[in-house]
Amino acid sequence: MESLFDQSSLFLQQLVNGITLGGVYALIAVGYTMVYGVIQLINFAHGEIYMLGAFLAYTLVAVVGMPFFPAFVLTLLICAVLGVVLDFVAYRPLRKAPRLAALITAIGMSIFLQNMAMLVWGSQIKSYPRDILPPFFSESAITFGDVSLSWLQLFILAITLLSMIILHLTIHKTRIGMAMRAISQDKTASALMGIGVNRVISFTFAIGSAMGGMAGVLVGLYYNAIFPTMGYVAGIKAFAAAVLGGIGSVPGAMLGGGVLGIAEVMGAGYISSEYRDGISYAVMIAVILFKPSGLIGKQNAEKV
Amino acid sequence: MKRLGFFLCFWVLLQFVGLTCPSWADSIKIPVAAPFTGPLASFGEGMKNGALLKAEEINAKGGINGQKVEIILEDELCDPKEAATVATKLAADPDISIVVGHLCSSASLASLPIYKEAKLTAISPASTNISLGKSSPYYFRNVYKDDFQGLFLAKYAKNVKGYKKVAIFYEMNDYSMGLMNAFMKQAKKNGIRILGKEAYSAETTDFKPQLTKFKMMKPDAIFIPGYAPQGTLIISQARSLGIKNVDFLGADGLDDNLMLKNPDAEGLFVTTPFIPDKAGPKAAGFIKAYREKYGIDPNWFAANTYDAVGIAAAAIAAAGQDREKVREYLVSIDTKAKAYDGVAGKTYFDKNGDCLKEAFVKEIKNGKWVGAEKQLQ
Repeated sequence: MESLFDQSSLFLQQLVNGITLGGVYALIAVGYTMVYGVIQLINFAHGEIYMLGAFLAYTLVAVVGMPFFPAFVLTLLICAVLGVVLDFVAYRPLRKAPRLAALITAIGMSIFLQNMAMLVWGSQIKSYPRDILPPFFSESAITFGDVSLSWLQLFILAITLLSMIILHLTIHKTRIGMAMRAISQDKTASALMGIGVNRVISFTFAIGSAMGGMAGVLVGLYYNAIFPTMGYVAGIKAFAAAVLGGIGSVPGAMLGGGVLGIAEVMGAGYISSEYRDGISYAVMIAVILFKPSGLIGKQNAEKV
Repeated sequence: MKRLGFFLCFWVLLQFVGLTCPSWADSIKIPVAAPFTGPLASFGEGMKNGALLKAEEINAKGGINGQKVEIILEDELCDPKEAATVATKLAADPDISIVVGHLCSSASLASLPIYKEAKLTAISPASTNISLGKSSPYYFRNVYKDDFQGLFLAKYAKNVKGYKKVAIFYEMNDYSMGLMNAFMKQAKKNGIRILGKEAYSAETTDFKPQLTKFKMMKPDAIFIPGYAPQGTLIISQARSLGIKNVDFLGADGLDDNLMLKNPDAEGLFVTTPFIPDKAGPKAAGFIKAYREKYGIDPNWFAANTYDAVGIAAAAIAAAGQDREKVREYLVSIDTKAKAYDGVAGKTYFDKNGDCLKEAFVKEIKNGKWVGAEKQLQ
């Protein structure tokens, strides 16, 4: 009986771990999927925006001395601006070039930003100061036997859900959202209808990058580690999540992130921690094999 | 505008060339290969400091047979691919007769066949994986091997700490897995139960799924045979998962000041080849000079590299800059009587180029590394 209880609490704790990790993947994946939906570009520098978000919040808190929550909001704003600048510098000049050209600039920007971060902040792992958050964040919010859900985990999940809902409403209920959906269907026709295509694309980059930066800060808090190469692995995973859910679809990114996060944690917990990443990618490949457009993506679905 | 860009590029290129070319040619070059940037840069920092201090002292005494020693720092990020590139470069340079390095075992294993091919001797002050010495007659080291370190740690865990149940959290690399195997072998003999072993990769920052499993196993201690950047995260995440009343133990890979920044790491103990307050009288001058030059205590990387550069210099002084003769000189240091008497103990090599050295235990107390009160002799 005792061991059965242990087994089920182990499972529940792993589920909690998996959902938190999945929430983070989902936040990053949204940035990939939105940009892809609008301009069919895989923005490989998105993982670096995530990393810069983590470092900017670190600098604002630890160096400038701001309290956490204003620093968090300011970080999101700076990341949004960074996303717009990234588009303006690296992708807009290539809007009419073959798609491969923009893809290569994306990889170039990724390498550039990563190395720039190494120059600015050094290559060693940094941690947020301990007193960055009110102390109750590290306490358990819900405890059930051996299973505990900390306030920080709850905070991450709540903020992920909240931003997903806001994003969904923005895309479906606002004028700019309508413009995004229009551009995703036909850029030229949208321009002919009087939509400022570049303005809308900039908006897309701003929103996606802000969410990426948000994920960076949350991950920095959760795992207590930020470093210049953190965007690479997270970016690849989130990209896999976006593809898994159906690239171009926002609910798909969310679902994909959740599935990938849970698969990774359960794989490490129950099959073998040595093959942790292998298991999560195998799940992705299996899904793509049977459903090439991803879990939610439909062939002719709206892309944003 | 375009022309300006071209000249700018050209200028930048020139700067790089200027940096990599040695400033004078009639000095004796001793390369030190280690990670000087990247996550393990602080390990490489110790090696760099130790090597530069030794070279300074040699040069102050007139150099090697009148020639100045010049330390060349080769950064390989502890990455096997980069290590192979650095090794190829050094092997092709006829002015190089001995290499001090590499630091990480995986980097050493990657560079070893290249040095062997070029008949270039390397002496590693820090790579502890057991298979290194056996794999090449050109590889030497003045640090103990992991079979010794793992055995030592398992004995300490049983005899001093009295652990009965231990879980192991290892990194997927040569150093960590070799150390784990040695530890497990001795633990079995001593009657320590290994409750489970879990793996992680260097790229990850999420250790919670594996730690959640450990939490359910309720071990007396968790052994982390890995490196400090991940070690500090593992300990913090374990505590945040509610793993209390469980000790952490590690090996020389966790012996880094990074651990001191983590209040959760209080009580962590590790094996190490060198502790300033337990070192012999021979080390007193070195420790004093090191403190004066760098303002900190030397760590074991610094002490062992200081000795390794000393051995390399002695080899060149005795045998000249011929690669084969340098190797023969090192091979000849094969008994305690002929040992190189360094700051981190006496070094003499067995037929594999490995050596026997003492190990110490140190722990974190009140946010500082101190030698453990009870050492195992």
